[in-house]
Amino acid sequence: MIAWLRTRVDSFLGQGDAAVTVPPMDGALSPNTRLDRADLIAQIPTPNDIAQGDATYVSSGNTVYRLGPAGTTEPFRHFAEPVTSLAAQGDRLAVGQPNHILLLQGVTETTLPVPCPTALAFMGDTLIATQGSSHNTPAQWKHDLMQRGSSGAVWQIAPGSPPKPLATGLAWPNGIAITEGGIVIAESWRHRLIRLGQPNPILADLPGYPARLSPAQNGWWLSIFAPRGQLVEFVLRERRYCTRMMAEIEPDNWLAPALSPPKSFLEPMMGGALRTHGFAKPWAPSNSYGLLVRLDARFRPIRSYHSRADGTRHGITAALDMGNRVLVASHGGNAILSVEGDLP
Amino acid sequence: MTRDDLVRWRYRLIPNTVVGEILSKPWIDNAVPVLMLAVLLAVFGTLVPNLLTLGNLGNLSQTVGEYLLMGLGLTIVVMAGGIDLSVGSVFALANLVMIALVGWAGLPMGVAIPIALLSGALVGLVNGILVGYLRLRAFLTTLVTLIVVRALVDSLLLSYSQEIGAAPIFSAFWDYLAFGTVYGMSVSFLTAVALAVAVHVVLTRLRPGWHIIAVGGSRRAAHNSGIDVRRTVCLTYVASGTLAALAGVFYAARLMSLGAETGVGLEITILTAVVLGGTSLGGGRGSVVKTVLGVAIVVVINNSLLRFNLPSGSSPLALGIILLLAVAIDVRWVKNKRKVLDQTYVAPTYFELPPLPDARRGAATPYAVNDHLATAEPIGLGLLDGPEDVILDADDNLYTGSRDGNILRLMAPDYTRVEPYVHIGGQPLGLAFDRGGNLVTCVAGMGLYMVRPNREVVKLSDETNRTLFSIIDDSRMRLADDLDIAPDGRVFFSEATIRYALHDWMIDALEGRGNGRIICYDPHDGSSRTVLPRLQFPNGICMVPDGQSFLYAETWGCRVSRYYFDGPKKGRTEVVIADLPGYPDNINRASDGTFWLAMIGMRTPAFDLSQRMPGFRRRMAMQVARDQWVFPNLNTGGVIKFDLTGQVLQSLWDGDGGSHPQVTSMREHKGWLYLGGIFNNRIGRIRLPDADQSWTSQSAYWGAPK
Repeated sequence: MIAWLRTRVDSFLGQGDAAVTVPPMDGALSPNTRLDRADLIAQIPTPNDIAQGDATYVSSGNTVYRLGPAGTTEPFRHFAEPVTSLAAQGDRLAVGQPNHILLLQGVTETTLPVPCPTALAFMGDTLIATQGSSHNTPAQWKHDLMQRGSSGAVWQIAPGSPPKPLATGLAWPNGIAITEGGIVIAESWRHRLIRLGQPNPILADLPGYPARLSPAQNGWWLSIFAPRGQLVEFVLRERRYCTRMMAEIEPDNWLAPALSPPKSFLEPMMGGALRTHGFAKPWAPSNSYGLLVRLDARFRPIRSYHSRADGTRHGITAALDMGNRVLVASHGGNAILSVEGDLP
Repeated sequence: MTRDDLVRWRYRLIPNTVVGEILSKPWIDNAVPVLMLAVLLAVFGTLVPNLLTLGNLGNLSQTVGEYLLMGLGLTIVVMAGGIDLSVGSVFALANLVMIALVGWAGLPMGVAIPIALLSGALVGLVNGILVGYLRLRAFLTTLVTLIVVRALVDSLLLSYSQEIGAAPIFSAFWDYLAFGTVYGMSVSFLTAVALAVAVHVVLTRLRPGWHIIAVGGSRRAAHNSGIDVRRTVCLTYVASGTLAALAGVFYAARLMSLGAETGVGLEITILTAVVLGGTSLGGGRGSVVKTVLGVAIVVVINNSLLRFNLPSGSSPLALGIILLLAVAIDVRWVKNKRKVLDQTYVAPTYFELPPLPDARRGAATPYAVNDHLATAEPIGLGLLDGPEDVILDADDNLYTGSRDGNILRLMAPDYTRVEPYVHIGGQPLGLAFDRGGNLVTCVAGMGLYMVRPNREVVKLSDETNRTLFSIIDDSRMRLADDLDIAPDGRVFFSEATIRYALHDWMIDALEGRGNGRIICYDPHDGSSRTVLPRLQFPNGICMVPDGQSFLYAETWGCRVSRYYFDGPKKGRTEVVIADLPGYPDNINRASDGTFWLAMIGMRTPAFDLSQRMPGFRRRMAMQVARDQWVFPNLNTGGVIKFDLTGQVLQSLWDGDGGSHPQVTSMREHKGWLYLGGIFNNRIGRIRLPDADQSWTSQSAYWGAPK
């Protein structure tokens, strides 16, 4: 009864869960153009994940590429289905597919029954996998967001034993960090990082939807694949509009976050994004954005790399620390970028 | 019946524009006091017997008159941003002076009254000099005057009350002031009403009143615009003192009392009345009507509480509490009215567009998007700001409007030299040359104007017939947009919307209602009248060569129609293109007898869906920041060519929106097509190799130049 009343009052006053406000990008997240100025390492269509074992691997579409030191890309393996996530350790490679995971080691190939694997990480011998949703594939992430999905899970797969759930009921878990204190998960639709087994999030109210976490020197890299916006927050609360939009309109043309800047005039435009005097404003509201955040060892943001509304290197899905350089996968920019790592 | 049908009928039957439009009226500030007075009258009218009987009202009218006089004075002071607490003491002083002069000194009324008023004015002048010229704090200063004048009155009473009070007064005029009535109304009341009208006229219609409001609204701005702030402030206190003294004169005649309690605490009562009416203590906002309402409320409360036989002191207590409430409401109202208006003004309705034609690259329709306009040769790049329409004269010079209120002329042949042709003041939108070579233009926020060849600007029309029962005044023109001229000289022009001004024009897209109209200006008698009301952002207008009809585009309706203003089909409208893939703007003639149509943007499925869900758009307007509202996609535009049968022959786009993201107009001239854009900083032109290289719009309309 109280909860019902609170929902009503909140929705009337636009507060609490009904608030469409979005945290601002300031402090360590103040905008810059570091991603737009970043070096282009390789131009490959819609890169999705990066992993480093004996070699550096990049996934794109149905293909996993091996990334050479000079930025050369050679196809490593082609799969029948899209590659949704990657993890590597020595000569082992875990490849996410829409409905299962393939574990490759030498010539042996094991299939693990985890649907919708959005991120993978090795913890010693054990593979940790996030399952974004129980009924959507990774490509249907927009559907899951608009359905306000919270059917994600985290699986622990020890060699030779069946997958064991570590957590369920997550809203699109999309990144894994293995720390000494436990496993940290990026939960996209709740825009936060949580440590499994702890009730309170360790980083909440992100201004975007978090994706992969990857280790840095004494800290972490957090990829944010799309920005949050008032309009999308509002649409998410308009259930009837959501339902009709999903039923009647192609996902590319939804009022929803996107991985790439607008490609077609059929995509909706927010008023502030109007081009005036032949100029696209960097501060315009946008459904896509490029944002990579450097977190310290306690998961607090200390620095960030941006590609703003007028840029093209949007949809940052993964990063890989190479010492003095960091490789960044820009899904919307169709590029693997390299930014300076830890500044002196 | 589907849910969509229900929604459509609900929005058709219940107009949801009313709340926002009423809130946007200045008189809405009176709503709170009027409501309060009505409630009080209803409550006390039932509780207190005889409250509203004629006899009681007659008694009350004397009190009301005195209160109103003082209230008027205080209103003037408060409107100028000050406060006058000394009115109660001045009232007592005038009472004493009056009785002393007439009774004790035996002076005639004609001398006594001016002296009494002068005493009040003098106190006011002291206040005025201290507050206005020496710039002391109004509150403290008038508090001190309150005490000083009160002390003066008390000491005079102490010494002379026996002698003054003992003198009898025999004067017919004195009695008339006290007890005379006209139609049951006391003299003091009628005087107060007459003065109220006078003060209202001064405050709203005359220069001194405007100065007072300006000073109250912003001292700094008033000073900067040349108003003598100090003098204005000083004079408000003089006025207040004089009016308080006049009230004292009436009081003296009425009661002939020299009690020490005269006028004690009256300043609080009067201040309550003024603030309760809605005159803001911050200055600059208020009116005489508000004060009248406030006085009525205070008198009703006072009188009713008296009749309840409550213990002494309870009446001031009640008034104090009400004053507190009134100040709180005043502060909240001023702070939030704008917000509420912002949230409620946008009033979307149900609108369903026909299915979206395929315009994607490579589509099989004539609309397929391409990049022809991306390579348009830029003209005046960076020198122009908002060239909505473009037109060329017989010497090939190019004319266009600009956002800073000029019509600019770009000189042929290379168009690198830009000169301001005329300054009009509002942003010129549509342009057309008439038979005599005059440049006729629609100016946003102003109306229809004409520029003679000698650069003389003439207003043709800024007013049309007002719609019956319209809440906002739609006789004025908010957004005259495009025009064309019939062979007989009549000008048909579109007013895109009556609910939004130019800086907000895009918001009209969210409403999906026919907010616009087409107006006909007749030069023969100078009259204007609305010929086609309730159109969805009517924009481009272009005469059909038959001389009996014109084409017009409705931007948010995504259609082009033809209206017959003469001939056998007179008064009829036919839809020419019903389902454009984007939003049309201006229409102009092409050299081959067909028509060019500018497209300012493209339809998007997400926005089209929201057009069928008005509640979604209303909540969006209330909850989401304005720059994040979903709008039509105005970042891709172009030009299409069509004929009178509605067949689309060709389309030219700027697919990536790099140089012409919105095309609002185009003009064919000697084998070139010139492009304008309301948000652009350039005019573009492209070659039309297949067109008649000598064709100009002027010669097509008015024949070859002589």
